[in-house]
Amino acid sequence: MSLLLEVLRQPALIKDFDGATWNRFLSELRSQQLCARLSYIFEDRGLIDACPSPVWTELRAQRYRVEYIQSQARLEVHKVRKALSETGIPVILLKGAAYAAMNLPLSRGRLFSDLDIMVPRQALERAETAFMAAGWKTEKIAPYDQRYYRRWMHELPPLRHPAREIELDVHHAILPLTGRLKPNVELLWADSVAMQDSPFRTLGPQDMLLHSAAHLLQDGAIEGGLGGLLDLHDLIIQYQDEPGWWEDLIDRARQLDLGRPLYYGLHFTKTMLGSPIPDDISRAAAQFAPRLIGDALMKAWVPRLLTPHYPRPRPPTIPATMLYLRSHWLKMPPALLTKHLLTKALMRSQPTKSGGTRLA
Amino acid sequence: MHDPLPANRQQPAILQRPHSYMIRTGPFTTKIVTEVSSLAALHRWCYGSDHGPDSAIVNFNIRIGNGPLLRRLIAPQATFAFEGESPFQPFPRNHAFAFFEWGLNWCIATRAHQYLMLHAGALERNGFALLLPALPGSGKSTLTAALAFRGWRLLSDEFCLIDHQSGLLHPIPRAVPLKNQSIDLIRQFAPEAELGPTFERTRKGDVAHLRPPQDSLMRQFETARPRWIVFPRYRPRHPTRLAGTQKGVAFTRLAHNSFNYRLIGTTGFECLSGLIQDCDCYSAEFSDLEEIVRTLTDLAAADT
Repeated sequence: MSLLLEVLRQPALIKDFDGATWNRFLSELRSQQLCARLSYIFEDRGLIDACPSPVWTELRAQRYRVEYIQSQARLEVHKVRKALSETGIPVILLKGAAYAAMNLPLSRGRLFSDLDIMVPRQALERAETAFMAAGWKTEKIAPYDQRYYRRWMHELPPLRHPAREIELDVHHAILPLTGRLKPNVELLWADSVAMQDSPFRTLGPQDMLLHSAAHLLQDGAIEGGLGGLLDLHDLIIQYQDEPGWWEDLIDRARQLDLGRPLYYGLHFTKTMLGSPIPDDISRAAAQFAPRLIGDALMKAWVPRLLTPHYPRPRPPTIPATMLYLRSHWLKMPPALLTKHLLTKALMRSQPTKSGGTRLA
Repeated sequence: MHDPLPANRQQPAILQRPHSYMIRTGPFTTKIVTEVSSLAALHRWCYGSDHGPDSAIVNFNIRIGNGPLLRRLIAPQATFAFEGESPFQPFPRNHAFAFFEWGLNWCIATRAHQYLMLHAGALERNGFALLLPALPGSGKSTLTAALAFRGWRLLSDEFCLIDHQSGLLHPIPRAVPLKNQSIDLIRQFAPEAELGPTFERTRKGDVAHLRPPQDSLMRQFETARPRWIVFPRYRPRHPTRLAGTQKGVAFTRLAHNSFNYRLIGTTGFECLSGLIQDCDCYSAEFSDLEEIVRTLTDLAAADT
């Protein structure tokens, strides 16, 4: 069992840690990039004194990076607002940007690297033109990747302003267009919430959780996603007491075709992080479960992948490889996937200059 | 001058058990696991072998591993990993010590935000610290090394770690990388200097490391109060010159020279303002080491 998971379930355990245990815990924490986030958990629980002083110093120091990135993200949001002000294009802030703009407790210490926004698909081209005019540039990527994004993905190729550090991801849907699940974007817009003091909107609370679950369990390769699971847990804690929240969540998942990721999300937050999910909701979510074998495999593999292993096994374990393949399988129909993987393999065999920074 | 190590005492890689040991430098404890025996031996030579209890909290877990198997047969490589992640490309294995030092610098610069971190040499006399912030190529390391052999205590060659609250400087005495002509220059200037092997043709040219003087290692937990900031610049055949620098100018130069001034936000501004207020600021030009050392020592004597 991972120390980090145990501490997330029961933070007071750190009171009994000895030096060697702290060192194992810190290694897991650093490789999951959760130092700043845990520093707030310890502070909220009155556990600062339970940390040896070099530990607390290090955890607290990592808050500076997070605060810096969040301030850069606020600046980027401001620039997006300016760039689009003349166009009248509506914008929904997604994920970290939304949590921070709404001042949700879960954004404290939460590290992120890019700003995710969504615009209506019919306004996508106009939005891109406005961003280009305001100085954003498309990251230098191969023509094939450009086409890949534009034809099949749910977002533009990443944009970046040369004078700033944050990457801007402009979405028009929350999952790839070629994917198995096709949430109706119109419904997301219809339930989106206007923000105070800002022309931007956020997803409705249920949709925010469903998007987070879809991103973690449907879209990506799951690996390194303990932060993502913690997001789900924190969103549940945030909204569970609102009247009708749980019932609406199940209905909404059905409407949006996101039942499967919700089912997994609730299962894994409950079993791994001990999230307070009512039994009748777990039972209701079970209607979205896959057939027996798929269910059993996911329940065997996902915890093994999300549990911090230090050091990370190389080569990747069988569950890691299988879940990586699964993420591709869910992203595209088989024929397209074959073509895509072949093209990427050929591109990789060409000599490139990429591959890590040189030291000094 | 002898090398502290017999060259290439390496066993075949496959027979080795990794070395695992800790290094304590100033406020940081680093744990190293490596198959590269020459690296472990150089670390023992440079930093000694007594680094406190095994239960100490480790700040940096660093693994210096063997590079890809095929490369081992032709030109052996080594890899750098911090907490299991490798941010850098592999490097020639016989340069492992130099690359380790650069890699550890990267770890500190990206994580130790509890300090305002300046890229500067630092030395102490009578409890007060002299800061030598400079760009690469300005002769900072050479001047730092020279002062360390003329009555100054070496606090750091690379990082000035300034405590946010107290404004005190925390020493972090590490191997001082001397480059190209500086290697022989320091050998002549201070025959007692202990230099490690020369790593030839690295990306920064030839590099040899100066072992921190024993006194500097013994007193590595003793903080010092910053008192003088001198921007040094080596100019061949120029006379030694020490001139006052306006505090506003010094502030801007230090802000640019810092590793994390922008990142730590208002804390950085307040910390740097305090530092500038506490210090006299100068810029120095020099070509003669003895002369500039005398000038700076006189400055300290007149002022304390």
